[in-house]
Amino acid sequence: MPTESATHGLPMVELRHVSMSFGRHRVLNDVSLTVSRGEMVAIIGPSGSGKTTLLRCINFLEEYDGGEVLVGGQSVGFRFESGRRIRRTEREIAATRSNVGMVFQSYNLFPHMTVLRNITAAPIRVKGVPPEEADAHARTLLNRVGLLEKADALPARLSGGQQQRVAIARALAMRPKLMLFDEVTSALDPELVGEVLAVMKSLADDGMTMVVVTHEMQFAREIANRVIFMDEGAIVEEGDPKRLFSAPATDRLRAFLKRYRESYLLS
Amino acid sequence: MLPDVLIENLGYLLRGAVMTVGLASATIVPSAVVGMVLALAKIFSGITLRTLVEVYLYVVRGVPLLVLLFFMYFALPYTGIDLPPLFGGVLVMSLYFGAFMAEIFRAAILSLPRAQWDAARSLGMRRWLIFRIVIYPQVFRLAAPPFVNTCVLLVKSTSLVSIIGLWELTLAGREVAERTFAPLQIFGGVALIYFALCYALSRYGLYLEERMRFAH
Repeated sequence: MPTESATHGLPMVELRHVSMSFGRHRVLNDVSLTVSRGEMVAIIGPSGSGKTTLLRCINFLEEYDGGEVLVGGQSVGFRFESGRRIRRTEREIAATRSNVGMVFQSYNLFPHMTVLRNITAAPIRVKGVPPEEADAHARTLLNRVGLLEKADALPARLSGGQQQRVAIARALAMRPKLMLFDEVTSALDPELVGEVLAVMKSLADDGMTMVVVTHEMQFAREIANRVIFMDEGAIVEEGDPKRLFSAPATDRLRAFLKRYRESYLLS
Repeated sequence: MLPDVLIENLGYLLRGAVMTVGLASATIVPSAVVGMVLALAKIFSGITLRTLVEVYLYVVRGVPLLVLLFFMYFALPYTGIDLPPLFGGVLVMSLYFGAFMAEIFRAAILSLPRAQWDAARSLGMRRWLIFRIVIYPQVFRLAAPPFVNTCVLLVKSTSLVSIIGLWELTLAGREVAERTFAPLQIFGGVALIYFALCYALSRYGLYLEERMRFAH
């Protein structure tokens, strides 16, 4: 809860005037954002609005051009010395990433590894967790996402919803301080969306800090502590989900929600 | 069924075939290593190394293997480098086929979804680890069919080293044909042995492809 964050000191995530371009196209335009510890922030907006890019800047899968991204008070990807920006080493960048879990739209499980190996590979190889311990933790996580019996299956044998739950377990296996979700239900058949959202809700209930890019407005409204609306690479509006959805302050959000409701009714 | 002259000399030819298989085996492993190293260098290295690798690939692909073998065997000794024919032959073939393997591996590495890298990087893995446990095992499955195909070409190309005096199936055939005055039967037999080797290799490739397949 946001009120608790004050006692924890530094915010979990902080973006300061972040900007980024792909060629001549400006994807992020002076974006500033703070996420407190234990907070669940949902980012909504039309496709191409920069939501995914923003998320990928947080664990440095995208190298932003300007501004600064901090996770747990430490700058991500670059360090700044007397005004000059210096890229961090691979080792430092990897260390930052190992504290930040990410779940992708297309699951991205490793197809040649069993479910269990998918989950244990990084804890064992990156953090040096003993294999038996990693195995036990992986089984606990699989149990949590309701897939313990699939431990020895290859990903291709699982449904999309099951694969996505494994992907969440894989990210959690690194015991991250922060979880990033990038449109994780967008590739799923409608009847499988619920099982993935349920896992995410239980994570939020446990106090995990989460940044969630989503098209599931209902989910954002019910679970998020705060909703951020992005358009054309900038944050247009942000605030309490109930207020934001029932009384949008900007025309752009009003138009976006109207389009969303229309397409929702049609489908 | 087989002509008598072929049956009488079959043992000799088969010993040549064993040598051919030996030469091919001795070439396949180093050429795969050369290929993988070149592929990685071409994808991941800086501009200087990448340019060097590209020049190498163009040169090797643009010059016949026989000319490269002649160069090693006849020209290099003038520069003071005198390689034993067996070592030189295997070396030249490894470098030659390494260039083709490089393209096979490079295509396989690039055909993997970028998202596999993203997922591994988001877990805190670094480049070499990602390559070893995520990319390489998948690349090997993807590359298996064209890899085996190149190996078939490689087996047949070992016949060229007979010209620099290495004794193997083709040279054994020439010896026997000259001695018996029966080139039709003998070279027919030699062709049959090459065919049998390559056919077996192709079938093995299909088997690998079948066994390593996983639904994606």
